[in-house]
Amino acid sequence: MLDMRNLTKVFNPGTPNEVRAVQDVDLILEDGAFVAIIGTNGSGKSTLLNAVAGTFFVDAGAIFLDGTDITRWPEHRRARLLGRVFQNPFSGTSPNLTIAENLALAARRGLPRGLSWALSAKIKEELRARVRQLNMGLEDRMDNIIGSLSGGQRQALTLLMATWLKPRLLLLDEHTAALDPKSAEQVISLTEAIVTRDRLTTLMVTHSMHQAANLGDQLIMMHRGRIIQEFKGAEKQRIRVDDLLARFEEVRRADQLDETAAEMLERTYV
Amino acid sequence: MTLLIGALTLGFILSLLALGVFISFRIFSFPDITADGSSTLGAAVAAALIVKGANPLIATAAGFAAGFVAGATTGTLATKFKINGLLSGILVMTSLYSVNLHIMGRSNVPLLGQDTLASYAQSIGTHVLGGRTSLNIGGWEVSTVDASVLVLTFLAIVLAGLVLFAFFQTNLGTAMRATGDNSQMIRALGVNDENMIILGLAVSNGLIALAGAFLAQYQGFADVQMGIGMVVWGLASVIIGEALVGTHQLGLTICGAVMGSVLFRLLVAIALRVGLNPNDLKLITAVFVFVALILPSLMRKLRSRRSGLSYARHAESHQGI
Repeated sequence: MLDMRNLTKVFNPGTPNEVRAVQDVDLILEDGAFVAIIGTNGSGKSTLLNAVAGTFFVDAGAIFLDGTDITRWPEHRRARLLGRVFQNPFSGTSPNLTIAENLALAARRGLPRGLSWALSAKIKEELRARVRQLNMGLEDRMDNIIGSLSGGQRQALTLLMATWLKPRLLLLDEHTAALDPKSAEQVISLTEAIVTRDRLTTLMVTHSMHQAANLGDQLIMMHRGRIIQEFKGAEKQRIRVDDLLARFEEVRRADQLDETAAEMLERTYV
Repeated sequence: MTLLIGALTLGFILSLLALGVFISFRIFSFPDITADGSSTLGAAVAAALIVKGANPLIATAAGFAAGFVAGATTGTLATKFKINGLLSGILVMTSLYSVNLHIMGRSNVPLLGQDTLASYAQSIGTHVLGGRTSLNIGGWEVSTVDASVLVLTFLAIVLAGLVLFAFFQTNLGTAMRATGDNSQMIRALGVNDENMIILGLAVSNGLIALAGAFLAQYQGFADVQMGIGMVVWGLASVIIGEALVGTHQLGLTICGAVMGSVLFRLLVAIALRVGLNPNDLKLITAVFVFVALILPSLMRKLRSRRSGLSYARHAESHQGI
């Protein structure tokens, strides 16, 4: 389904601020897989997601979606196949447009936009019906501007918008990190419900060990721009938060030794 | 009375300018100063065609089209070539000065005695009123020419406002508004935001050129200098309009821009009447826009300082204990 080959992305190359955000990453997602990516700060997990979304072009490697090479597709062209929810709840919606207008924009994701009414009577009814399923009472506030809603409500709507037209791949970028615990819980259960109902192939970056352990059927750990561990199938289902913490502690310890010291130790003892 | 009607007519004509500035500055937050050139461009194209004997309606439409192309050029420089938005506008505006001179062939084209939209309005008005050359409104003697030009200008602006209002509620128009509001989101929904900006600036400058074409036919000439200061005038109208309607609802903001333009022209007419030096007009307008821009943050600072003072006093009294 999604096939990433030898992806590399370097920010600010050739300057003192050079960051090798993603280094030579290979990753394959099966159709219908729900993959969680976890990693330390600066491990490249969000960079990897944004590389798929097309926020920037990668420096090396290729990205295939359903066998099509999308490596050089601009962001708006990839949007036809992708649904996206961002970390910042303000990023996924247009604050000065109404709830209905925002949803109407999402209902035509990747489709040509002409001079027909954005809010015809027919689409308005459909919008209301699907917003009612959120159980947030927003169906009675369809003509309010989205800027007047809370972060949790906006993130729930962004999720609804991202999946309005069934995407080939759903990209979630720490989409509950900026929410209060209760809203985060709501958005996560909504995510689970939608992903299960539509059998969406999903790539989710998360900061939460809890989410990483309990959600999805595949888990990827990243560190310093590389994938350091991958759990699949039964192994993934056995994983607990403590196992993840222990693995990160190991990584942290290894980090305290620089590369030359590690090499020397290896030569001496191995 | 003639003065009032003149100010109203000018206000309605320049409300097209205000609507154009509203699109670039408010919808896209794009500081587009192409307007200084594109308003003259609209006047130049319309005047040159009218002098050549073209139908004034077609000449006016051509003025709109020319402004549309100018706006698209600015948009292309800013998006496809990644040139700073302000600089893109300056480049196009500067080159338009030469273009306008070429179109007109000299720096000023008089339209006296030509068939223009104004003379059309006059003949329609005379026809409707059965040949009278003046009419009586509340005790004031108003010439048929002035009245009919005002009424037809008003109708044209209402039509333009309605078309714009409708356009911004289509799928395309909604996507355009969202582009200015949150470009990341609209890209994620599959819209090429660069094309939206190009199209938006094209429509904006088309409207501004239309204002120029109307203005040339109303005042009876096109002049290569007539566009200087247009951006600031438009911005002043938009700001006054926002103060008048005080909301971000689309229909009201469009009405507000038109009302702001008319009110602005009335204020200018009154100021000139009481003895303001016309040479100072642009300076005073610029100062007005400056004040209107800094006023909100100034108010906030003042308020926070006042609460800061009360906090200091509070702390002092505690120390006393």
